[in-house]
Amino acid sequence: MKTLKKYCVAASCFIAVATSPLTADTVAITGGTVHTLGSAGTLENATVLIKDGIIKEVGTRVSVPADAIVINAKGQVVAPGFMHPDSILGLSEVSAVAHTNAHDASDSIFGAAFDVKYGLNYRSIVIADNRRNGITHAVSNPSGADGMFLGSGVFVSLNSAPDMAIGKGPMVMDLSEGGNRSVAWARLRRILDDVKDYKRNRSAVQKGKGRTDYLLTAINMDALIPVVEGKQILAMRVDSEVDIRQALVLKADYGLDLVLIGASEAWRVAEELVAADVAVVIDPQDNLPRSFDVVWASRSNAAKLKAAGVKFAIAPAGAGGNHTAAGNIAQVAAMAVAHGLDWETAMQAITVVPADIFGLEGYGALEAGNVANIAVWDGDPLQVTSNTTHVLVDGKDMPLVSRRTMLRDKYMNR
Amino acid sequence: MRDMKMEGVSISIFRKAACMTAAVSMFAFAVGAADDDMNKSAFNKDPYPSTYEPRPSADYTLIQNATVLTGTGEQLDNASILIEKGKIKAVGQNIEAPAGAIVVDASGKWVTPGIIDVHSHLGAWGNPGGALLYDGNEMVRPVTADVWVEHSLWMQEPGYARALEGGVTTLQILPGSGNLIGGRGVTLKNVYSTTREGMKFPGAPYSLKMACGENPKRFYGTRGGPSTRMGNQAGYRKAWIKAQSYKESWDEYEADVVAGKEDAKKPTRDLELDTLAGVLSGEILVHNHCYRADEMATMINMSKEFGYKISTFHHAVEAYKIKDLLKDEEICSAMWADWWGFKMEAFDGIEENVPMVAKAGACAIVHSDDDLGIQRLNQEAAKAWADGKRAGIDFTKGEVMTWITLNAAKAIGVADQTGSLEEGKMADVVVWNGDPFNSYTLTDKVYIDGALMFDRANPDTLRQGDFETGYVTKGAHQ
Repeated sequence: MKTLKKYCVAASCFIAVATSPLTADTVAITGGTVHTLGSAGTLENATVLIKDGIIKEVGTRVSVPADAIVINAKGQVVAPGFMHPDSILGLSEVSAVAHTNAHDASDSIFGAAFDVKYGLNYRSIVIADNRRNGITHAVSNPSGADGMFLGSGVFVSLNSAPDMAIGKGPMVMDLSEGGNRSVAWARLRRILDDVKDYKRNRSAVQKGKGRTDYLLTAINMDALIPVVEGKQILAMRVDSEVDIRQALVLKADYGLDLVLIGASEAWRVAEELVAADVAVVIDPQDNLPRSFDVVWASRSNAAKLKAAGVKFAIAPAGAGGNHTAAGNIAQVAAMAVAHGLDWETAMQAITVVPADIFGLEGYGALEAGNVANIAVWDGDPLQVTSNTTHVLVDGKDMPLVSRRTMLRDKYMNR
Repeated sequence: MRDMKMEGVSISIFRKAACMTAAVSMFAFAVGAADDDMNKSAFNKDPYPSTYEPRPSADYTLIQNATVLTGTGEQLDNASILIEKGKIKAVGQNIEAPAGAIVVDASGKWVTPGIIDVHSHLGAWGNPGGALLYDGNEMVRPVTADVWVEHSLWMQEPGYARALEGGVTTLQILPGSGNLIGGRGVTLKNVYSTTREGMKFPGAPYSLKMACGENPKRFYGTRGGPSTRMGNQAGYRKAWIKAQSYKESWDEYEADVVAGKEDAKKPTRDLELDTLAGVLSGEILVHNHCYRADEMATMINMSKEFGYKISTFHHAVEAYKIKDLLKDEEICSAMWADWWGFKMEAFDGIEENVPMVAKAGACAIVHSDDDLGIQRLNQEAAKAWADGKRAGIDFTKGEVMTWITLNAAKAIGVADQTGSLEEGKMADVVVWNGDPFNSYTLTDKVYIDGALMFDRANPDTLRQGDFETGYVTKGAHQ
């Protein structure tokens, strides 16, 4: 079956044609403890009914069609698949092997105009491995460029298929690439002013009759027009309380749709974040003053943001947390729980909220109409001792096999 | 633990300037060198001796009603630990509290030995980071056996206290892996100290950091070599050949002195070869960063070529491919639960590495190499356990605990002193508020040599490195 999917995200729409067959079968996950992470809450002995890759019904009185493929989840836990909010999945195989990496535009003409969707490698063996640990979709982001704008991220499905791109992601920028704090903020404001001016005078500039003193080239300013129009999310990597305050002023001044990634000191500015309606992506592991910018890094960042009403997603940063060890997303969410966050919010921060704050529609809670990206666990998904027993992507029960499990099996009895 | 009172204690300890341990000699010929002639001929093998002293503790502490993982592989339910003057006195059921004992009710709680990390760089690459505190790797030539990582330590490192809150009582600090031979490592007791010597584990052997594979060849490939793995191998071998001849010249000299030869010619000291000769005589333990199975096997051959013993392969992501060899050679593997794939030599890392090595009967250790990972080695061990279970290899919780306690202690040569809850050992003990392999569990209390160094219920026990003073309120990181 060939499915045509059309996603509209922020300013841009694009069409993904599935060349691999999605299951046309009806699938029923029965008997499990279902954490919908939506308004229905947690349902015991419930059924999740899936048709054509979409959740049809979730409840305790769902009738299962006779021809349905049944996954018996009795005694097990059913939850939405994890969504990594800041990964490089599909964009890297081995980080030290240069030609397997496609997330960095350094030494190219691309900055803001960089778009990683063209570099996605659906054959990456890292995908199957992370899927086995419960990740079903992600934001895959650019990691570097010559300048503070790194380019656009892409929403990806961990389907190991050519249509893994499922939507345009945020414009990513890294403040630390802009020079010292004073220079970086001045540069950023100048660039945004430039883009607004360029937008007004674009045809003149294209004809060679406009200003020639813009800081960025035309292709990179073109890419930033949706950002200054507030139609593409600007995902800013920033940690310090000091910079977070500047970011909130910038948002107000330019009408940006802003999400902060890193945000180690966000809890120090929680009320201001709520007032500005800015969501953050944090790593609950953070508790070391790695630089002078993050001296207030705290394990209770998440719990305090929750108490203040700040919307946040959780991502394991550093040391492969965005790639080979992305599966640690559950472990770091549990760390937030150990330090005062409620379990439901922790689970939402790695499932529902990332889709919500980055605007990936149709993904998230186990609710009718959402894409059936679902994991079945032999225990609490946040426990490091729990394992998946089934992982469904687009309603398809994916094999829990990876290159690594094959290596394991090869050497197990030698 | 770093309030004024505690600092006062530390200072008084340093004033005593007491050497806690007999001088650690590096060469076999100098061990037990008691007569005057020998002492005259030998150089000082322990010029930076430990000044560590246990912190004040109660004469008796009884922790009772706990689930105890002993570190030797056992689990004891509803059991007690009796600590007497800093040492484990008894472990088991029906232990009476001696008069005046501090009694800790650990109902519903779990007790384990202090966690040991055999691979840390805390203080060597210091937080808050930056080149001025990055002192972990002397990457100026491929063999720097002359450097001692203890001389890089930043005592204000906030990571020490964070690791203590994660239950870590002993840690080995190693130099980095950019060099073929990176220098000496050092084992620390995880106590606050303003001097390096104040943290040094009394009597712990020194270690030598060696590194296989990609790191040295990548860095030196454009700096005069080695640029290949065969170049790496040649580099180690040349160093050992020099070390052998150096050791022989000192052996001859010592023999001449003992024989009373007037014209005994004292060799010229070489700091680099001092350390390598110390390995050849078995005084210094080899900790070898090595990922691939083929390279580990080659390193084993080289150790036989030159007559030394490898204590532990670090990272060892392919240990599962040679698990029987590692068992036969009695070499430990210090592994991550799930770091893999970030470079070519790490590409074959599997989640079941630790359990497969342990199942084969080889010495398995879970290490961190990371200032965040060191704070949750219990969870890392739990991860590896669960991965094994999924593949059909199961262990008891008692067995899993050995991966971060007794096996680690063996690897760094302190198993006779710590690493398990056995009578006579240092009372390095962690009380957890639940099962340590549950992701929501945190430490409640951490004891080092019987002294309560961290108590989650008592903010006065929180330690704050000097760097953080004046920046943040104590405990803000929690």
